[in-house]
Amino acid sequence: MELFRTKTHIDFVRAMPAMVMISVVIIALSLVSIVAKSFNFSIDFVGGTVIEMQVPQAAGDVNEERLRQVLAKLGQPDAAIVRLGDPADREFRISLRGSQEEDRDLSVRILKGLNEDLGTAVVAKSVESVGPRVGGELRRAGVTAIVLSWIGILLYVWFRFEWQYAPGAVLALIHDVCFTAGLFSLFGWEFDMNVLAALLVIIGYSMNDTIVIYDRIRETVTTRGTTELESVVNEALNSTLSRTVLTSGLTQLVVLAILLVGGPVLRGFALALFIGILVGTYSSIYIASAVLIWLARRYGHPVPAPKAERRARPSRAAT
Amino acid sequence: MTLRNRWILIGVVTVMMTYLALPSFFPEKERGKHWWLRSEGMTLGLDLQGGVHWLLRVDEKAAVQRELEKVQATITDAATEAKVSLAGAEVKGDALILKGDVPGLRKIVDENVRIVDVDESDGALVLKLQARYVRDAIDRGAATAVEVLRKRIDEKGVREPVIAPQGHGRILVQMPGVQDPAEARGLIEKTTFLEFKQVLDAAPNQALLEAKLPSGVPEDQQIVLSETRAGKESEALLVPKKAVLKGDMLEDARMEFDRRNRPIITFQWNSEGARVFRDFTGANIGHRLAAIIDGKVVTAPVIQSKIGRRGEITGDFTRDEANNTAIQLRSGALPIPLVLEEERAIGPSLGADSIRDGIHASLLGAGLVFLFMAVYYSLTGLFVDLALIVNVVILLGLMSAFKATMTLPGIAGVVLTVGMAVDSNVIICERIREELRLGKTPRAAIQVGYTRSFWTIFDSHVTALLSSVILVMIGRGPVQGFGVTLTIGLVASMFTSLVVTRALTDTVYGPNPERLRI
Repeated sequence: MELFRTKTHIDFVRAMPAMVMISVVIIALSLVSIVAKSFNFSIDFVGGTVIEMQVPQAAGDVNEERLRQVLAKLGQPDAAIVRLGDPADREFRISLRGSQEEDRDLSVRILKGLNEDLGTAVVAKSVESVGPRVGGELRRAGVTAIVLSWIGILLYVWFRFEWQYAPGAVLALIHDVCFTAGLFSLFGWEFDMNVLAALLVIIGYSMNDTIVIYDRIRETVTTRGTTELESVVNEALNSTLSRTVLTSGLTQLVVLAILLVGGPVLRGFALALFIGILVGTYSSIYIASAVLIWLARRYGHPVPAPKAERRARPSRAAT
Repeated sequence: MTLRNRWILIGVVTVMMTYLALPSFFPEKERGKHWWLRSEGMTLGLDLQGGVHWLLRVDEKAAVQRELEKVQATITDAATEAKVSLAGAEVKGDALILKGDVPGLRKIVDENVRIVDVDESDGALVLKLQARYVRDAIDRGAATAVEVLRKRIDEKGVREPVIAPQGHGRILVQMPGVQDPAEARGLIEKTTFLEFKQVLDAAPNQALLEAKLPSGVPEDQQIVLSETRAGKESEALLVPKKAVLKGDMLEDARMEFDRRNRPIITFQWNSEGARVFRDFTGANIGHRLAAIIDGKVVTAPVIQSKIGRRGEITGDFTRDEANNTAIQLRSGALPIPLVLEEERAIGPSLGADSIRDGIHASLLGAGLVFLFMAVYYSLTGLFVDLALIVNVVILLGLMSAFKATMTLPGIAGVVLTVGMAVDSNVIICERIREELRLGKTPRAAIQVGYTRSFWTIFDSHVTALLSSVILVMIGRGPVQGFGVTLTIGLVASMFTSLVVTRALTDTVYGPNPERLRI
């Protein structure tokens, strides 16, 4: 079976200026949202307490409002309470975000208060508390990790390719992270440790994509030179297109499986990956290559000799 | 490498990794029963097996205060000896304030204490711990706390706990299988502090004791109460504020049985403690000595004879009481309070749900990928599927070999690795098809497909490794486990796509390349 039976001849380069403009606008909007609205951080990053629990049948009919009253009595009127899953599961999540300086007994007090008020022992399925200091450190560590990986990739691409390739690769990565993070900010999806991990996976994935395309551009340049750089890039993008689509599609199969049946803990993670892989594929084609063309036009692109000829050249020069 | 040697390599690696990975799929009690289940297997993260995770921090203020209290004791003794007037000494916040003969005191401080900066204000000396020694106090506090926690958690019977210092006075504690976080708090909440004090007077309760003291409790003395236990009379004791001995000089304490098979507590001092204890008990035979933990009297026996390094406390203990007291004495001083910075308690049912969901998602995702490859690349696709299976086996084998922890994001990492490993094969297969389309012979197409793809695959793996290694470095708990899985998976993926599929292709298509189905 083949999806790309004949070679495609899509003129990617012609669309690049428009695509770059669109990307610039989207990234600007993402940054505005991130700055103005920030993120719906989970307690991993801002501290707080989250309790997931099941109310036994003995407590009778319990709904969010009832729990809210109990928590208000316990001095926590701001607690967010949501039902988890089916009403028959009788499960709830109580979150107190960014709460209290290190009040280590808060969760114990709340559970005790609930037990007394409902007249039966609730089943705590998970209790998580994070102090504000740890949360702040994790936020900084997350930003450091992302920036470090950008720098690392900048240096690696510079070392393995020519310097003209490096800025495009990194701009594409910045684009992917900003876009994904921007959507999380805009829609107020919860941003937890797993989403941060997903952002780093997206960096790795998108880089993978860019490298494959760059590699083909470099290979094509060795045979065709740089006089028609646009058509060289088009050629490289078209010959790698089948691989780009296949890999991205296969990875998305896995990501969708995690998103749909992987359970609630991994939902944010899979969602971030899904978005990130889409934009990562897009940015490798349109952003990374566009920046490369622009830099190569402005500063030139060294043409490495094909490997087989490289050894032959000195002798030819001698004759 | 010849084709035969490549196959030997692949065979050895696969068998070894299967052996390492297998036990992880069998319940604990099955392991060790069969010769092929001897290796240890991976550990499950707390998010999968349930348990309690803590990040604790030594309370810096308390650490500094405790250090300053030691300085205060030194100076008080030295001042008394040198007959220098010391009108007042108290620890306020992060400073020790000395009042009295300021020039004389300064001289004493200079002679006796090296770890403080000295200032003068309002006719008093203000002593502050130097930054270096603040760090030192915090580090020592954390080291002691790790020891104490390790003992206490072991006593509690937690299997395979993690108690590890994290730098900057932090301690990571992981207790798999512990279900009630509130109950586990006892381990850190009791900053158990043991003191031995001379008993000056005693009465059955506080009111009766106070009645014996018409002029009130003297300035340097205090009343302490023994713990009320069911079926036992409590007692009120009058003791000096200054302790004869503190628990930090205790080397060991255990529950044993005396000749009449009654539970007793035996203890052992370190050399300094032994000297003090010998002098004190020698001078006070027939008097009572109270062992006080956190301000409550645990026991107050009569000193029968001069006791040195070893001693025993004969009380009216039950076996459990004696054991608990011994544990408390033994793990003794957790001298500086710990701040609970992070707590994650996962119930076992939630962990089981997570495992089930994670495995379902993995099987579904991997199954779809396998199916697609076989359909899309026919026979060559099946080779790729085989290589992907080897990839997962190597990943799980290496995880077991490194005793890495499998977490829920880690399970996602395993199947994501399958997605990434498939990429290398897609690159190779697409390249072979492209070369075929250019009219190359199958043999040449395979040759070019692999050689041209090598550096692409290498580069894309190195850059992906870069971000996964960063994840391992900054991540915590489950996310760190994910980073480890991803890193190992990328290494395995390089091996399978460049060696395993290649060997399969060479073996099947090598002799008659015209059979190439791709």
